[in-house]
Amino acid sequence: MNRLQGDVVILSLIDNLKEKGSWCGETHIQKATYFLQELFDIPLGFEFILYKHGPFSFDLSDELTAMRADMLIKLQPQPRPYGPSLVTRDGSKSIKNHFSSTLKKYDSNIKFVTNKFRDRGVAELERLATALYVTLEINPNKSSEFRAQCIIELKPHVNIEEARAAVKEIDEIIRDSQKRK
Amino acid sequence: MVKNIHEIRDPIHNFIRLDSNERKVLDSRPFQRLRYIHQLGLTYLLYPGATHRRFEHSLGVMELASRVYDVITNPAILHDTVRDEVPQFNSFNHKYWRQVLRMAALCHDIGHLPFSHTAEKELLPEGWNHERITLEIIRSAEMESIWKEIKITSDDVAKLAVGPKYFRESYFSNWEAILSEIITGNSFGVDRMDYLLRDSHHAGVAYGKFDHYRLIDTLRILPKEEDGSIEPVLGIEEGGLHTAESLLLARYFMYTQLYFHSIRRIYDIHLQDFLKKWLPDGYFRTALLDHLQLNDNTILTELFRAADDVTLNGHDPARRIVNREHFKLLYQRNPRDVNENPDSAKAVFKAACDKFGLNNVRKDNYKQRGNGHEFPVITEDKQILSSLELSDTLKNVPIVAVDYVFINPELYQDAKKWKKENIQTIILLKKEENHE
Repeated sequence: MNRLQGDVVILSLIDNLKEKGSWCGETHIQKATYFLQELFDIPLGFEFILYKHGPFSFDLSDELTAMRADMLIKLQPQPRPYGPSLVTRDGSKSIKNHFSSTLKKYDSNIKFVTNKFRDRGVAELERLATALYVTLEINPNKSSEFRAQCIIELKPHVNIEEARAAVKEIDEIIRDSQKRK
Repeated sequence: MVKNIHEIRDPIHNFIRLDSNERKVLDSRPFQRLRYIHQLGLTYLLYPGATHRRFEHSLGVMELASRVYDVITNPAILHDTVRDEVPQFNSFNHKYWRQVLRMAALCHDIGHLPFSHTAEKELLPEGWNHERITLEIIRSAEMESIWKEIKITSDDVAKLAVGPKYFRESYFSNWEAILSEIITGNSFGVDRMDYLLRDSHHAGVAYGKFDHYRLIDTLRILPKEEDGSIEPVLGIEEGGLHTAESLLLARYFMYTQLYFHSIRRIYDIHLQDFLKKWLPDGYFRTALLDHLQLNDNTILTELFRAADDVTLNGHDPARRIVNREHFKLLYQRNPRDVNENPDSAKAVFKAACDKFGLNNVRKDNYKQRGNGHEFPVITEDKQILSSLELSDTLKNVPIVAVDYVFINPELYQDAKKWKKENIQTIILLKKEENHE
């Protein structure tokens, strides 16, 4: 997948999240892209590390800035307690039309991620994305309890009940996504 | 009597002070090597004053990091919601982290290759960058013995020196993330503050100057709230907002007018071409001793030799630098073309290579990393708001983006005519299947 094809996937993700009522700040896009890339093996090529608020990609953050430079998206300030939203600009339409077959290929994956995460707050997305990270990167095949303990070790501000719920939900999401591959 | 505090004269910060233990880092071979690495590569070919080195920049970053630390950890101004994140003033931990921060700031560039950023990605083997070399040096036997004497650990220094993007071995606590932000942060990192001020001073341009005294005095650790999630980050008092605007505008102007000046960039590309031919297998060696032996002086000597001798590797790019026969700018991105095709320069480069041959065309591109325009601001009535709510300027600072295509000067007139006649066809987005 080349850079512009990756950009249209992100543009479509942003449009879908917005359409479904998400405020769509950078954290939403970071986590939704992480789910999209990892659950469906979409070759977006972003490297995610576990940072303060769960999986985060500096490359994706840079790409979002590059997309602003290319007039594909723009920042839209929001009142407290929300950070700025990222919204698509008119110029993005022609790129999306041009790469319509890429969009068609990943459309159901984008819709799956949008539907699962559109109304989640940042803290909830952080827990779920960390649960996926722990499951895929650190402790595959480990018990739910082990992974929940792992989450609270990594993120001391998450309590054990929240961690268990996140692991349970992420296991369901992984199962659902595998059915759609 | 042995002098315990040493003072170094600096054109930007007047005096930079360090103690005898810190002086051992300064006197170490890896740090002394920075005296021979130009801060701005070959920029002095355009801006003759820009001959300053990484050595003095690193000292400046240490000085500014200490000033920021002393301001933001002052208990009298700590915001209640972040008080628990900060070690008690003057406690062992407070002093320990101040020392770690100073040493991390001093060593943050210690792994730089000759001529700084020139083509680092192309000239290092896969998986290497200057940050990785920095980590290796900080953990080398020579440096370990110094850290032991100072009573700090190399891992803490390394972690803050390269930041979370490059330090993957352990996670960053909120406190460590703030300290790392002091050095490398996108909004208020002192690395950037120092290089803007210093580069602007030496190059003789005014764009990079801003009131850093006022800016640092108004920095605060503030909670950044986002829909149920709160993290402590570097923010600012409302009174410092205009100086923050001037810092971020300074960055924009310095990048567009100096760092990405098209002639400066083509000299970097010719230097990269020379190094590709001159280095064994086309790559810098990453073994520590090899790294320490190479600096700008050793390479310049070879560059001049190659420029004078047609039989030596890298003769052509070397003579282009030495005789100032650099390639000329054929195309640069512009809003109209980018609207048509965000990768318009790539399309022009490809078409020009097809028409004039790969050896006669070069390209360069850069897009700003991160953002940095959004940070928390504490108002006079103690509300915490986003900088973007309070500043129209920050909302509208353009993103730095550069795309250049260069052509051999002997073909310049033909290429210009060709571009004028064909540009609209060239930048049209090709059918999607061709992009796979």
